[in-house]
Amino acid sequence: MKVIKAIYNFIVGDMVILIGVMLAVTVLALVNNISALAPLKGFSGPFLVIAVLASLTATLSREAFSSRR
Amino acid sequence: MQWVVATAAFLASAVEFVEAFTIVLVVGVTVNWRSALLGALAAAATLAILVATLGTALVQWVPIDVLRTVIGTLLLLFGLKWLKNAIMRYAGLKARHDEQAIYEETRAELRARGEVEASSPRFDLFGFLLSYKSVLLEGLEVAFIVITFGLSAASSTVSRSSGIASAALGALGAFLLVILVGAIVRVPLAKVPENTLKFVVGIMLTTFGTFWLGEGFGVEWPLSDAFLLILIAIYLGASFLLTVWLKQVKKQQQAQAIENQPALATGQSKEVMR
Repeated sequence: MKVIKAIYNFIVGDMVILIGVMLAVTVLALVNNISALAPLKGFSGPFLVIAVLASLTATLSREAFSSRR
Repeated sequence: MQWVVATAAFLASAVEFVEAFTIVLVVGVTVNWRSALLGALAAAATLAILVATLGTALVQWVPIDVLRTVIGTLLLLFGLKWLKNAIMRYAGLKARHDEQAIYEETRAELRARGEVEASSPRFDLFGFLLSYKSVLLEGLEVAFIVITFGLSAASSTVSRSSGIASAALGALGAFLLVILVGAIVRVPLAKVPENTLKFVVGIMLTTFGTFWLGEGFGVEWPLSDAFLLILIAIYLGASFLLTVWLKQVKKQQQAQAIENQPALATGQSKEVMR
């Protein structure tokens, strides 16, 4: 458990960013591998950029309105 | 010497070398040069082993899209973390030099215990890995360029080895040019304030991470590699807006805290009077 936590802290250390990026990767993988979703492939690029910006905004909002601060 | 092949390889490789060198440079300036150069050297050694053992079969055996996806995801995670901290420092939600202060404090403690030499720059795993991954991925792309350009130039009059040699010379020229330019900009870059550099690193890592992750999933970015500049502009604009917004939030919170203070104080004094 300590090792996993150390790796997590080393790579990202922020659950909001981790979940945001992993969600984006999952959606892109689905769009790329499921033929029924193939028409959405053209939107993969804009989707990725929006997902990155949304993750950044979400984690900063959490920090700004956190009661711990 | 096939000049057309060499020129095409020079231009294509220069773009890849600039991408790799940018990351090595920022790691060198923000983390330390020892970790940045060790990472770059380790990646170069890995590349040399791959090219020596696989040769032209490299194009078939290394899954470049998987590599782009993995490295893109990691860079994105690293980049967003750095960008978030830099924006918070600009907005005043985090102390500007907290990491430096913690580092210096720990270093002073270790020095007092005789565990670290004052003059030795510490090895940083984060810096090493960042430099390693970037150089490995871009180096592989250069190897792909050299092999594919070289092989595609082969015809009835030009042998395969001659085509690859011309492409390799073009790539070598690009490498030397990028190193030369990098050596020139290194000194002025070291004078830039720490948080600005960390912010730039965050923007760079997030940009490259997005770009490579997208490529790994078959995204064809408009304008090809030039889209990196558009991504940089998007992230810079978004960061600026987020910083302005967070500053306003902080001001509002401070104003609210000041408003609440007298009310609290009055309440407390009334209780004392009773």
